[in-house]
Amino acid sequence: MTVSFSGIEAAVLLDISAIMVLEIFLVAILAGLIGALFGLGGGVLIIPFLTLVEGIPVQFAVGASIVSVVATSSASAATYVQDHLTNLRLGMFLEIGTVAGAITGAYVTIFFQGHNSWVLFVLFGLLLVYAAVLTLSGRRLDAPVKVAPDRVAQVLHLGGQYKDLATGETLDYEVTRTPQTLSISYVAGVVSGLLGVGGGIIKVPTMNLVSKVPIKVASATSNFMIGVTAAASASLYFLRGQVHPLLAAPLMIGVVAGSAVGTKLLRVTPPVKVKLLFSILLLLISVDMLIQGINLYRGP
Amino acid sequence: MGVLAGAVLSLLGLGSWAIRGFGPIGSVNGSNVDSLLALAITGNPAGIVYLGVIILIATPIFRVALSVLFFAVEKDRKYVAITLLVLGMLVFALVSGAVV
Repeated sequence: MTVSFSGIEAAVLLDISAIMVLEIFLVAILAGLIGALFGLGGGVLIIPFLTLVEGIPVQFAVGASIVSVVATSSASAATYVQDHLTNLRLGMFLEIGTVAGAITGAYVTIFFQGHNSWVLFVLFGLLLVYAAVLTLSGRRLDAPVKVAPDRVAQVLHLGGQYKDLATGETLDYEVTRTPQTLSISYVAGVVSGLLGVGGGIIKVPTMNLVSKVPIKVASATSNFMIGVTAAASASLYFLRGQVHPLLAAPLMIGVVAGSAVGTKLLRVTPPVKVKLLFSILLLLISVDMLIQGINLYRGP
Repeated sequence: MGVLAGAVLSLLGLGSWAIRGFGPIGSVNGSNVDSLLALAITGNPAGIVYLGVIILIATPIFRVALSVLFFAVEKDRKYVAITLLVLGMLVFALVSGAVV
């Protein structure tokens, strides 16, 4: 199997069986569910599954995963916007950072194939540890306690209001420390372009703990954002031939099903529970990524 | 919406693959995509799925474009600018990707 990204005609054959397609479909449902519930794209689940369990070369795993991220996002987006959970202005503002980052990352990712891919895993694992620690340390408070908006937030009207369907309250919130969050969003975008994930796993804790956005709003807004970011990366991967139809197809179908369930769950789960579950998930994934990175470094 | 179209086309594509006996399929890069899409009409599995992928990817980009209109209607000039900036970057990604 030869791989060529030079832009000239190159068809790459992968040996994929019907059973593999079915397995991918089932994992996709789970990924869609987790994704919709936490504002993630599910890529952090799908890529390790494709590379480690199914033995797919990492560049195709990444390409397929980014497509599923777009799917997860689009599947839940309509519901969250209707619920007024998604903060469109905040999302769009931060998208400046993430899309720029995604384009950077997607271009740079070719340098990290093969021998150097361990760098990606270790980097990612470390980032996730950061996110997990951040989320865990802030888990008890979610109510936006008298947060004063910063200059950027005031000028751009980033604050908002949402109704928590679990508790029935309507809450106002403001946004602060926007420059930091914008920079971190850029990093999240780079990670998205590099690794084929949505980046939600960084965006959600950052919005929640750095900018003091309530967790459900952060999740819903992230959900919207990752769709846009992933679309940027996905275009580049797709045009380079990294998207394989037999991987993309079961993923697209599965995440639609999974996120339908996940969306309903987010609406009714209490915020504190969402944060706790999220941090546990983060820790699991970060450990997994670090182990993978170390294994790759050691080599076969 | 776009994601449903993607899912439906994926099902059709997989169905076509099944009918043709689960043979091996290649992934193809950008320059060949238009010919594959033409094949989609004839029932080529990869073509059908790729069509779904394209519609799927187009959806968020479309959403951003719609947001420009939304902000324009609200006379929110700052956000029209911000959204146009994001849209511009997205278009750049598409165009430059085709060249790379």
